[in-house]
Amino acid sequence: MTTVLDRAVPPAARLARDRRRWAWGLTAVVLTAAALAGAGLFSGSVLNPGGSAQFGRFATAALRPELDPGFLSVVAGSALVTVAYAVLGGGLALVLGAVGAALVSRRTWGRRRSGWLAARGLLAVPRGLHEAVWGLLLVNVLGLDPWVGVLAIAVPYGAVTATVFADLLDEVPGGGYEALRAAGAGRGTAALYGLLPSAAGGLLSYSFYRLECAVRSAVVLGLIGAGGLGYQLALSFTSLRWEQVWTTVYALGLLCLLADVGGRAVRRRVAAPPSPGPGRDPVLTTAVGIVVALVAWSLWFLALSPAALVSARAREQLSYVASAAWPPSTQRSLLADVAATAVDTLAMSVVAVVVATAGALLLAGLAARSPGAGPVRRAGGALVRLVLLLLRAVPPPVWALVLLFVLLPGVLPGALALGVYTLGVLGRLVGEAVEEADRRPREALRAAGASAAGAWLYGAVPALTGPVLALALHRWEVAIRDTVLVGLLGAGGIGVLLSARISAFDWPAVATVLGAIVVLSFAVDVVAERARAALR
Amino acid sequence: MRFGGTTALAGVDLTVARGERVAVVGASGAGKSTLLGVLDGTVTPSAGKVLVHGTDPGSVRGRELRRLRGRTGTVRQHLELPGQLRVVHNVNAGRLGSWSVSRAAWSLLRPQGTAEVAAALHRLGLADRMYERTDRLSGGQRQRVAVARLLVQRPELVLADEPASALDPALADTVLAVLGELAAERGGALVACLHDPALALRHSDRVVGLDSGRVVLDAAAGSLTVAELERFYGVAR
Repeated sequence: MTTVLDRAVPPAARLARDRRRWAWGLTAVVLTAAALAGAGLFSGSVLNPGGSAQFGRFATAALRPELDPGFLSVVAGSALVTVAYAVLGGGLALVLGAVGAALVSRRTWGRRRSGWLAARGLLAVPRGLHEAVWGLLLVNVLGLDPWVGVLAIAVPYGAVTATVFADLLDEVPGGGYEALRAAGAGRGTAALYGLLPSAAGGLLSYSFYRLECAVRSAVVLGLIGAGGLGYQLALSFTSLRWEQVWTTVYALGLLCLLADVGGRAVRRRVAAPPSPGPGRDPVLTTAVGIVVALVAWSLWFLALSPAALVSARAREQLSYVASAAWPPSTQRSLLADVAATAVDTLAMSVVAVVVATAGALLLAGLAARSPGAGPVRRAGGALVRLVLLLLRAVPPPVWALVLLFVLLPGVLPGALALGVYTLGVLGRLVGEAVEEADRRPREALRAAGASAAGAWLYGAVPALTGPVLALALHRWEVAIRDTVLVGLLGAGGIGVLLSARISAFDWPAVATVLGAIVVLSFAVDVVAERARAALR
Repeated sequence: MRFGGTTALAGVDLTVARGERVAVVGASGAGKSTLLGVLDGTVTPSAGKVLVHGTDPGSVRGRELRRLRGRTGTVRQHLELPGQLRVVHNVNAGRLGSWSVSRAAWSLLRPQGTAEVAAALHRLGLADRMYERTDRLSGGQRQRVAVARLLVQRPELVLADEPASALDPALADTVLAVLGELAAERGGALVACLHDPALALRHSDRVVGLDSGRVVLDAAAGSLTVAELERFYGVAR
């Protein structure tokens, strides 16, 4: 017997807005407006007319960089120093990350969630401080030793790598691991045979991405005195030798390009292996071999001695700083300064990300390689990609110095400098997202008579909005840390306060400021993560 | 018509008149989708001549080309509907040929022309899905959204590539009837690639059979039987 069920009359369709997304959108608008106001955009003059002549000289020097053989060999030597720091710092970070991953993996803690949360929380401290901050702290403990540069990269990178490695391992389905454990294998062996093979591709990809980033960090450390290209850049800049500045900038661009291209080639190879034949992939084996060889060379080149880490002087200095810094200062005037500069820092990071996102959206269409484009479009695309490369090759504090030619000192030049640098990174990422986006919906709309803009709006933008906003939020997390760096070199925000307290050896105050920075970065991480969840 | 080393269509000489409903049949890879691509301008033939609405699409540019393209509407085999958009926007995308960019952008915030969209969706039994995200819909529902897009576009030449592949028999009949009516409303033609011989015979006046890129059958639908048509689908059926 069949029963015909009465179908309920469907209710008239109504447009229901996603409240959560609207709330986030509104928050973003308010935050942006407040940040722009805080950066002084709506109040008084921000332009510095007196500096335009100097800026002109700086800009025209781009076309005639210093090509004197003596200077070129100095630049080449500096590049080697930068590479050595990047390789050793990045390599050590990967080792630390692998060990740390075992400590913060969900599998290690099982159902003891509070233990897992505590382990993760502990990593927020090294992660929340910029490489340059670590550099300044370590130099006070170890003195002028190459270990400073290596550890300054390895400590924060190691913490980030540990969380990412742990996430990658946790994402592997646990069946194989559990089976091996049930058969009596130890945790380590079971992980080696049951988890590692499945996660290997992701781990390798991320490792190379980290090494790529380490090159940029090594440049930044040069700015605060660790030597290398960053140091050379700062030296030429402060002595107003613009031709030399541009030579160094081009060297930086070349180095970044090599790191980008190499890293991307490895990641593409991992994502799409040519054929799953027996044996190892020769390209990946060579890449890993090159890194190992570079590590060995860097150890020799920097003359790194493990003894320096445990020397009597270092231990003495560490115990002195540690005991001087505890308890952190709770002076009222210091806390007020911390609060005020923290607000500035937040404003700078928001302005930077908004500027970078807007710029990236405008340029992404051009930056993306499109099949079947004409020669003019192709050349334009190559030019945009080259400019983006230079934008991200030059560290943000140097951009702040450049902007000071045309802007009055304050929060704005620092914020825009960060924005320019972030645009270099974000423009590339958004361009890649556009390249990978499905072209067919756009083409279908064009075939039905839509204009290019209309087809873009209805065929491409919907699929790109989510990923692009997620990228922007991720860059915000990075930008809040970089804001501290820009401040360390004088461009405003909490970094200025930190560098002043460190130079005064006021360790209790340093401890307070560091605590505030860690809390601030952690808060931004949490907010960005929440916002990303609302986008999914 | 060649793709790299593969010839997808060769020596096709076909004229579709106003008011005709043509079913294109043939095994997978016979060149059906390429034929539709040539008609809607997404595929440029390597040799030969194509006239759409009496005009060679290669001879016009800019605004005129857009107007010409707006007179042809296609339901694609893979639909090409961005899943992140609400249904109403994916339907409204059919009007991009006549809307200004600012209106199109504004509509994404505040849907425009909702009455026509609702009417189109109602004809296809999707009235209650108007504001849902397209990726929350089933395959068959998405297929009908693609048809609704054509209803608001109101093209003269209606092209459809397997428009009923994910639909139950009753809905398949509805969709093909709607497409036929749509073409008739503006005195145009319907060209549909169909897998199901019975469906093809019920909803067409003329059947064109393709095999390896050549036209091997061109006959009035009334003169064919389902059994005769079935051999065109080879191993696929």
